[in-house]
Amino acid sequence: MLNVFLFAGLPYIALVTLVGGTIYRYRSNRFSYSALSSQFLEKKTLLWGSVPWHLGVFILLIGHLIPIFLPGLWRSLMVNQAFLLLVESAGIAAAILCLFGLSVALVRRLTVAKVQAVTSPMDLVVLGLLLFQVLLGLGVAMAHRWGAVWSTQTTTPYLWSLLLLQPNLDLVANLPPMVRLHLVSAFVLVLLVPFSRLVHMFSVPLAYLWRAPQIVIWNNPRRFREVPVVRQFVESRRYFLRGAFGLTAGGTLLTAGVMDKAVSFFRGPAMSPEEQAALLRKRLQRLEMTAEERELELERLRNNYIFVANLKELQPQAGKYFIDYQMRPALAFRTEDGLPLLISAKCTHLGCTVASAVDANKQLLCPCHMSYFDLHSGAPSPGSPALAPLPRLGWALMDAQGKLLLKEGPHGRREGEFNVAQLEECGVFICKEYEENA
Amino acid sequence: MSAAERVQKVGRFVAERFPVEKFSFHSLFQKKEVPIHRMSWAYYMGGLALFFFMIQLGTGLMLLFYYQPTVSDAHASVEYITTQVSGGGLIRNLHTWASSAMIFCVLAHIITTFAMKAFEKPREVTWITGVVLLLLTFGFGFTGYLLPWHQIAVNATKVGLQSIEEAGRYLPGALAEVPAQVRVLIQGEAAVGQATLSRFFALHVVVLPLLVFATLGLHVLLVQLHGMSQGVDRPTKKSERFFPLFVLKDFSLWGFVFLVVFVVALCLPFESFFSFPLFQPFDALGSTPEGIKPEWYFFFVYYPLELLPFWLVMLGQGVVVAGLFLTPWIFSGTSRKTLSIIAGAAAFYLVVITVFGQDIYQFFKGE
Repeated sequence: MLNVFLFAGLPYIALVTLVGGTIYRYRSNRFSYSALSSQFLEKKTLLWGSVPWHLGVFILLIGHLIPIFLPGLWRSLMVNQAFLLLVESAGIAAAILCLFGLSVALVRRLTVAKVQAVTSPMDLVVLGLLLFQVLLGLGVAMAHRWGAVWSTQTTTPYLWSLLLLQPNLDLVANLPPMVRLHLVSAFVLVLLVPFSRLVHMFSVPLAYLWRAPQIVIWNNPRRFREVPVVRQFVESRRYFLRGAFGLTAGGTLLTAGVMDKAVSFFRGPAMSPEEQAALLRKRLQRLEMTAEERELELERLRNNYIFVANLKELQPQAGKYFIDYQMRPALAFRTEDGLPLLISAKCTHLGCTVASAVDANKQLLCPCHMSYFDLHSGAPSPGSPALAPLPRLGWALMDAQGKLLLKEGPHGRREGEFNVAQLEECGVFICKEYEENA
Repeated sequence: MSAAERVQKVGRFVAERFPVEKFSFHSLFQKKEVPIHRMSWAYYMGGLALFFFMIQLGTGLMLLFYYQPTVSDAHASVEYITTQVSGGGLIRNLHTWASSAMIFCVLAHIITTFAMKAFEKPREVTWITGVVLLLLTFGFGFTGYLLPWHQIAVNATKVGLQSIEEAGRYLPGALAEVPAQVRVLIQGEAAVGQATLSRFFALHVVVLPLLVFATLGLHVLLVQLHGMSQGVDRPTKKSERFFPLFVLKDFSLWGFVFLVVFVVALCLPFESFFSFPLFQPFDALGSTPEGIKPEWYFFFVYYPLELLPFWLVMLGQGVVVAGLFLTPWIFSGTSRKTLSIIAGAAAFYLVVITVFGQDIYQFFKGE
């Protein structure tokens, strides 16, 4: 747990604080964005502290940054043993230089009264931490030799994993404690940058190198008139640049996002052969369904009689579904007297299909909203949401030779004669004539 | 009046509506000013509708790459877009959400321009093209609704087309058959089927867009030619430049609105407001599921149809459409205050019937 905090949590906290904190400090208190100089108060010892320290730390910084950012180049250089030796000794020399400079600076801070007056606790913390860090580094260089080589396989990939937002703690888990302490202490230093004099590393006055030796500010009436215009011009240019930058950045992000989606959209899905087969089968099923529907419609357009079922297949308790002339669902039963009974199965409430089973009260149930319909009259029972009865359908009985034996209209009017013996061989049909009358 | 005078009169009419001398970049963009007053926000409505139309064009073209307009494949291809194609669900959602947003903006646009009397001479043609665009937009909504070929789509289309046929009951003699024939003409066959789907598809993706391009081009050109209407009875002296200030504001509004629609489309499928069985593939033989309703933007005519006698609704609809076309002449002398009241009443009706339509229906039908 502590491990995770020190090598994954702490570096990110430090980095975010560094970026956010320095920006905030720069914007809120710009004049503090440097190191408070004490040269004016004491400069003899300062020379022996500041110069060796800055020289040494600059060399060390380069020696740390190249293996991090150009590990390939660094490794190829380190293959040359003489060069490795040179780098290691230069590092140790620079560290000793730093150590000397820091010690002088620390002694100066602690002994010279004038300098003590402008020294904040944070200055001392930073100074002590730097001393500690340099000592650690020197210790690592002495105790675990050839760090210039092994660091490219351990700490460099670890720092990169941090930068790529995929921290890999395995890389530092087995490093010697001194190396790990060196890393943690470095993170703490980074964390302290925005709160201490260390920010001055971002405000190195490089402009001094090529600015004019003097800056003359003059005021005259002409200048006085021009200044507001100039300032306005400068301001508007700043707004314009800021706006243009925002638009470009936003536009780039938007384009990247849209392209990411659009390209993969047009590339289409990579379906497995199984999925493709399933899709084809589904489409075939739908096509068959449509064709079937169309055939039923055509059949109803052309024929005066549509076959429903053989009479002997029909039962009094469980109806058989069929499609009537209006392409609506209907049910066919056989009553106790041996004759068929055809009734619409489209609920008169909201058009659900009525279930086919007849219950003990000789009623049909629509499962959607619990409407009960009497099987014989089609009338809904009291309290059902449906108000209109299910209409009865007319039918015709024909024998195997297609001879019409008996017809019954939707209102129960019968035509023709029959004898019971013939019934078993008969087929039940629905008739167009009854549909047209209905 | 002699023939020559008549020709001259027509010439003058056209010249006033299409001032050719203003066909210049300077006049169309650089000189144009947008008045600033309490109704200034309404100047953004048309642009917003245009923006949503552009989203519809983009997403519609993208959907066209995968959609298949056949009865057997339509639903499967829509499902394929939503579940298989990378980002397909988002595109489809964006298309549905933006369609609703576009209709909302178009309605808001026509109501505000009415209240601001933006149809006043010489802007009659602008207004009429606007009314045509409104009807075309509704046409888009109606034809597009059928394309996914699920239960609610087909059944709602059936109900919609059924109402055409019902007009036949109020026509005398041989004319009574005409609406039924019109319906078959639109459907292409006796019932809503493959022919209907093909027709609606062609209308939705080719015919209506072409009509919109032509009408919209004229509409926008006229808006630029005549500039923004003054909008209030007593115009303030204040105004801002159309280019670049107003255009930039327009763009930033579009950007913001796109963000909102995009996030909504990303998080909220349009279909989540309906119960599931409505989105199963249409099944002619199965029972009709509950809750078949047109899209919300047709509620203003759907609920009256359910509650009032059919002829009354049809008559009212005819009067409203005719009134919209003739608005520049009917209301030429009306003050903007009165117009605002009429527009407010219309907006009130639209909001109430759209939001509380179901409750009103249940209240009167006692269900």
